[in-house]
Amino acid sequence: MTALAGTGLRVARGDRQVLDGADVALGPGELVLLAGRNGAGKSTLLRVLLGAERPDGGAVSLHGRSLAQWPPRARAREIAFVPQEAETPFEYTGRELVALGRHPHRQRNAGLQPDDLAAIERALAAVDAAPFADRPVTTLSGGEHRRIAVARALATEAPLLLLDEPTSNLDLEHALRLVLLLRRLVRAGRGVLIASHDLNLLAPHCDRVVLLHAGRVFAAGAPADVLAPANVQAVFGVRSEAPGGFFPREFRL
Amino acid sequence: MRLPPRRIVIALLLLLLLTAALFLGVAREGPGFHELLAALGLPIGGAPATPGERFVLFDIRLPRLCVAAFGGASLAVAGTVMQAAFRNPVASPDLVGTAAGAAFGGALAIVTGFAAVGVVATPLASLLGALLVTWLVFVLAGQYGRISVAGLLLAGVALNTLVGALTAFVVTFTYSSYAASSEVLFWLMGGLERSTWQHAWLVLGGFVLFAAAIAPRGRDLDLLTLRDDSAHSLGLDAPRARRVLLWLACGLTATTVANTGGIAFLGLVVPHLARLLVGPAHRALLPAAALAGAVLLVGSDLVCRLAPPDANLRLGVVTSLLGAPYFLFLLARHRRGAAL
Repeated sequence: MTALAGTGLRVARGDRQVLDGADVALGPGELVLLAGRNGAGKSTLLRVLLGAERPDGGAVSLHGRSLAQWPPRARAREIAFVPQEAETPFEYTGRELVALGRHPHRQRNAGLQPDDLAAIERALAAVDAAPFADRPVTTLSGGEHRRIAVARALATEAPLLLLDEPTSNLDLEHALRLVLLLRRLVRAGRGVLIASHDLNLLAPHCDRVVLLHAGRVFAAGAPADVLAPANVQAVFGVRSEAPGGFFPREFRL
Repeated sequence: MRLPPRRIVIALLLLLLLTAALFLGVAREGPGFHELLAALGLPIGGAPATPGERFVLFDIRLPRLCVAAFGGASLAVAGTVMQAAFRNPVASPDLVGTAAGAAFGGALAIVTGFAAVGVVATPLASLLGALLVTWLVFVLAGQYGRISVAGLLLAGVALNTLVGALTAFVVTFTYSSYAASSEVLFWLMGGLERSTWQHAWLVLGGFVLFAAAIAPRGRDLDLLTLRDDSAHSLGLDAPRARRVLLWLACGLTATTVANTGGIAFLGLVVPHLARLLVGPAHRALLPAAALAGAVLLVGSDLVCRLAPPDANLRLGVVTSLLGAPYFLFLLARHRRGAAL
């Protein structure tokens, strides 16, 4: 079952074709890894799937309806986003930023309602961010910052979650905790799409891998098939010689 | 820890009322508090106010107080909006050329003699200058119908430089006439001593009109301090919201600067000050900044009025003297690890 689907997506930046007919789909209850070299078009594809950028060709549909036709706030209740970088230069507390995740549910000028507050607390608890939720985010570490960003996406309660490089800047333990959290969300029915270079860590936990190369889907399917040595050699130009597939080892808490 | 924002806003309101009372009742010469109370119908052991005293209080000091209070509030709110919309704590109303355009329009009016047409001729000319330059900046910054932060900054710097040079060029035409020359320079440095009720209504009207449109968009401003993709994912059309809010901020700046001349630093400093008091969330920040801006400009103008007459202290000079040390304080705080 597909909730969000992009077909034949094309995006040009000047002379360069960043996306050149890419197809990708995301449904509830699956964790999809979007892999590829730097400049393969992963971030652009995420932006197009979010509706933040109109593709020059192709179409994105959400629940069978063109994404561009969705009212912004209704769309925001369906698709949440976790950006790669720290964002605000101002001293908002983590809780204030997570509260912004309730924006698509709130009336203009309305205060936070009980169900908003409950969603915020649930989101903070899910990423263990409660201990530092009331500190200015400008004083947080990279990992704490990322957890606040994830909590904000969770606070929207959107069934689909797109993440851009969620494990960069995270140490091994926090990265693994994040992956396991995403896995739990998927078990509970959400659809999660991760653009990442962290193949070793993420691939064992994914249901599908979409390998993007030069703006097109080079291969898509089960992790072990897509990340087979021949594909890795062709796309990344490196040999992978791990016994038993691409992954050297599986990490556990 | 921060105090509850509501209490700080109330404290600032009381502070503004106190400053306003001082502004009306304290002077080097002319009516003082006794006469003020008498004119308000509360004589305390004094004679009733004479028509002359009433004129000074209600037709000279009161309009000037209104221009200072609403002008200060306008510049502070404009600065707050700019800093959020540009996601940059050192953005200010000067950035997109509004103030430079206002200065150019005003200077041109004085040099060409258009200023002599009426009291609001100079404000009108500088309002036109402000809108024209701001519009040019937005046109130059536009790309594929969208306006980026970097494009606005670059266009703003380019037009600020160009318009600044044009203003300087226009000013050179006044060298032969001492009177015209000093008038232009006084105007460029900012001052409220010529404020009439016409000026006061213009500034007040601008504040009411534009601030009323900004007030319900507090959460949009919070979202704009995030990156555009994040703001978009939370349901905000960030480029559009930024364009609307920047125009509203330019409206505030233009209606103020057109009536006061150049007032440096206020729109840059006050948002920082307000953020220290109530935090960065705009629901509380906007009213706190408006009140703090009003207090600061009324206080600064009171300092100008109380300075010895031959010192001729200009308002823009006083606000700069306040602003520069405050930024050194922010720098020291920043070096200890705090965010700007």
